[in-house]
Amino acid sequence: MIRFVRLLLFGGLLLATSCMKWEYGLVEEFDTSSSPEGLFICNEGNFQYGNATLSYYDPATKKVGNEVFYRANAMKLGDVCQSMVIRDGIGWVVVNNSHAIFAIDTRTFKEVGRIVNFTSPRYIHFISDTKAYVTQIWDNRIFIVNPKRYEITGYIEVPNMTMESGSTEQMVQWGKYLYVNCWSYQNRILKIDTETDTVVDELTVGIQPTSLVLDCNDKLWTITDGGYAGSPYGHEAPSLYRIDAESFTIEKQFRFEFGDAPSEVQLNGTGDRLYWLNDDVWEMDVTAECVPSEPFLPYNGTLYYGLTVSPYNGDVYVADAIDYVQQGKVYRYSKERELLDSFYVGIIPGAFCWK
Amino acid sequence: MKIILSIIALILCHTSLFAQDVEWHKRLHAIPGVTVYGKRPLKEIGTQQTKFDSVVLKESVALSMADVLTFNSSIFVKNYGRATLSTVAFRGTSASHTQVTWNGMRINNPMLGMTDFSMIPSYFIDDASLLHGTSSVNETGGGMGGAVKLSTKPAQSDGFGVQYIQGLGSFRTFDEFLRLTYGDERWQVSTRAVFSTSPNDFEYRNHDKKENVYDEYMNIIDQYYPVERNRSGSFRDFHLLQEAYYNTGRGDRFGLNGWYINSNRELPMLTTDYGNATDFDNRQREETFRGILSWDHLGEQWKVATKAGYIHTWMAYDYKRDVGNGTMAHMTRSRSKIDTFYGQAEGEYYIGSDWLFTANLAVHQHIVQSEDKNIIRQDGNKAIVGYRKGRAELSGVLSAKWRPTDRFGISATLREEMYGTEWTPLIPALFVDGVLSRRGNITAKASLSRNYRFPTLNDLYFLPGGNPDLKKESGWTYDAGLSFAAGREGSYSLSGSASWFESYIHDWILWLPTVKGFFSPKNIKDVHAYGIEAKANLSVALTPEWHLSIDGNYSWTPSINEGEPTSEADRSVGKQLPYIPRHSANLTGRISWRSWSFLYKWCYYSERFTMSSNDLTLTGKLPKYFMSNITLEKALSFSWADISLKGTINNLFDEEYLSVLSRPMPGINFEFFIGITPKWSKK
Repeated sequence: MIRFVRLLLFGGLLLATSCMKWEYGLVEEFDTSSSPEGLFICNEGNFQYGNATLSYYDPATKKVGNEVFYRANAMKLGDVCQSMVIRDGIGWVVVNNSHAIFAIDTRTFKEVGRIVNFTSPRYIHFISDTKAYVTQIWDNRIFIVNPKRYEITGYIEVPNMTMESGSTEQMVQWGKYLYVNCWSYQNRILKIDTETDTVVDELTVGIQPTSLVLDCNDKLWTITDGGYAGSPYGHEAPSLYRIDAESFTIEKQFRFEFGDAPSEVQLNGTGDRLYWLNDDVWEMDVTAECVPSEPFLPYNGTLYYGLTVSPYNGDVYVADAIDYVQQGKVYRYSKERELLDSFYVGIIPGAFCWK
Repeated sequence: MKIILSIIALILCHTSLFAQDVEWHKRLHAIPGVTVYGKRPLKEIGTQQTKFDSVVLKESVALSMADVLTFNSSIFVKNYGRATLSTVAFRGTSASHTQVTWNGMRINNPMLGMTDFSMIPSYFIDDASLLHGTSSVNETGGGMGGAVKLSTKPAQSDGFGVQYIQGLGSFRTFDEFLRLTYGDERWQVSTRAVFSTSPNDFEYRNHDKKENVYDEYMNIIDQYYPVERNRSGSFRDFHLLQEAYYNTGRGDRFGLNGWYINSNRELPMLTTDYGNATDFDNRQREETFRGILSWDHLGEQWKVATKAGYIHTWMAYDYKRDVGNGTMAHMTRSRSKIDTFYGQAEGEYYIGSDWLFTANLAVHQHIVQSEDKNIIRQDGNKAIVGYRKGRAELSGVLSAKWRPTDRFGISATLREEMYGTEWTPLIPALFVDGVLSRRGNITAKASLSRNYRFPTLNDLYFLPGGNPDLKKESGWTYDAGLSFAAGREGSYSLSGSASWFESYIHDWILWLPTVKGFFSPKNIKDVHAYGIEAKANLSVALTPEWHLSIDGNYSWTPSINEGEPTSEADRSVGKQLPYIPRHSANLTGRISWRSWSFLYKWCYYSERFTMSSNDLTLTGKLPKYFMSNITLEKALSFSWADISLKGTINNLFDEEYLSVLSRPMPGINFEFFIGITPKWSKK
């Protein structure tokens, strides 16, 4: 009987020891020197699941590489890839809920450094080689960093903003002044003196300005989402604003229908045509006096989540997050609205960055 | 390490160091004869049920119900980490499709719809059963996957009794368990307390990130996968359960149950988090009181019972960071308060031994206050983003059960539910069973039902994102299966069952991001879940002193999205839902010799998809895993006390594994318990 028991236990142990092996990532070598006009796609991934990814698309060959950060570095990019900018061949990838910004070589996708311990970083903007600003959500400070040393060097306190309702977003620079839209439960555009690192002025717009660009005529454009039903901050019809950068005053307000949810203001490479999402994809000349009646691309039954325009040839790229838990799809259209290509990327493609 | 542990385990076998606890000992020495299936209680005609006896529930007092279910049932336990949110789901459905009752009162959080099983200590549960699929309609509505029924029972003590257990585990984990009982002919009184603390800072190799080594010019000269500690994972949980039962001796029993929870848990940082743990404080606190007053009256052919209950839950979530001067400033400060008033009346009436009629009416009135964020309004005044709502939920059920012969039984149930002002259509359920062969007690059973699940209060009203236009989910489910039982009194028993199930759920509610930056729920999917559940048990008295028992469960649960594609690019249709394993299994082996007992527990989950399209990616990989735990126990009996000594090794083979993406899990860890039951206090 004892033998029977031993046999049983031995069998059980054999069963149990045939266990999983953890698979470490393998490092892949990339070289994208031959595609100087490449496009990076920041795939947010699902909040709290750490499955953000970076994709790379070569418009010339129409080839896409997914998870290029993981494949080049054998580690995850992190939780919620929010945005990316490139400066001098180095891509700065802002990973919001990882509290980190990764610096990667845009040819090889290999990490060259990282800045960590942000509160909840959203965007990075370079003032110089040794100074950049990083906006945050859930913090009333804009972080100042030294990209050369990968360290946080200081903060810009935003007046009349608490930590809990803190929200600073996209940045554009005009001369020595930097403009920032404040989004979540906010209604302001800030003006910051980059020499003194202080907020010197602010402009009230509508509820929750989502994005900000500077056109060829030195006009700032922002688009508000109008808040949401039941919000104690208010709920209104959203608007598109044209703001003169020099005088920092609103020149024009284009109102949308109540309940609309416009977002993602973008410019083409020459800065004279404006694009945004509002179910459909819209396009407008920056000198226009009214919003066009027909969209650039009509709504096709899905919510578009990201938008960019090629600075090289004006092709329009629009991202479909589908159901937000599968690989999203990017559609590429010509200026003439012809579908040129489409390709799958990562989960929730939200932001783009041109090489 | 695995080899060493295997050798140790084999040596343990060789030297016959097998143990038993007192309860287990009793059970093994009285291996039950084979129950004739046709004599099953009328109440259980055709039901698919998994029952957990006190042996399973008390195997390790430090376990939560999440751990018990992981190793002893076919349902899927989604575990976000040690002492962290654990949810359970039946048959390819989600956690919100599992209804949970405690002594008859539904305890699902009305805001979230789900129950955190890591907050239910198995030490507080005397009786637990799983009602799979259709069978849940007998207990409650809304259990599209099934229901978990948890109960306490009178201690059946005679005079005063005391039990104290001290546990000491890895990662400086301390567990204290105390039970005081008093009983006489009329009264049964019990007080139970559990207190658990741990920094929970287990070490693990982080495969998701690399540490950089820089030279003086800030060039990376080396990278490595760091061995990290679980950051921000500490917990301090206190539970107190007071019970009192009074039996008049004339068929009346009055009961009082009060359960108080005080929990303070940090939320562990993700494996992909590069924040400095000391700069952030991410914490969830909860205080909950659940109380029930009950009266039961038993007549010869009938029973009536009423219950009144109350639940108060206060939850706080704080996410703070050090702003540079040691001051921790709130990034998020969220509070919620739930008050639930509960009442229930039920009756049972037997006509002879062939017919049983039952009726049950339950009402839950929820009053909820949710405060999610403090903001400054445009006018400069402060405001809180949140909602206050109340909802009455009424659920009534009638059933008739008939067993015309010993070999055949049929039962019909009709349930009707009202949430707020909205009613469900009648929810019918039909159950049949029949003994196919007395030899081996081979029994067939089948059931069929309709079911509905209403949106939770957060689904409807949460700010931002709540969607008051949501429809209730609806579905059909049926199952059919065979069971057998064989054995010889005092020698062995062998039983098993296998069933096929199939469910259709329409208008499945999912929270999805919006272009405005927040999530919002929608009726998105139609899901077809089907599969097989199988279980088996073998108990053998090998010799008068050696006893062996093996329990196994297996389930195969395809859960397929059969909705319309959201766009032409949607590749999720026809695919398995994310995070639901197709295969899961567990096995528990117990062997005892005299006052020693040895327990081996094993479980397995197949690879889970993390995308609705079932694409396998490097970043979204969630490999299959096996988990093994062993326990060795020795019971000592002295004239002044019974003492039990127990040592447990969890994750025996030091597996590196994940249950959910980016959530660290502990490697091998150890627990030791000493339990004392003094005899001086006996009458």
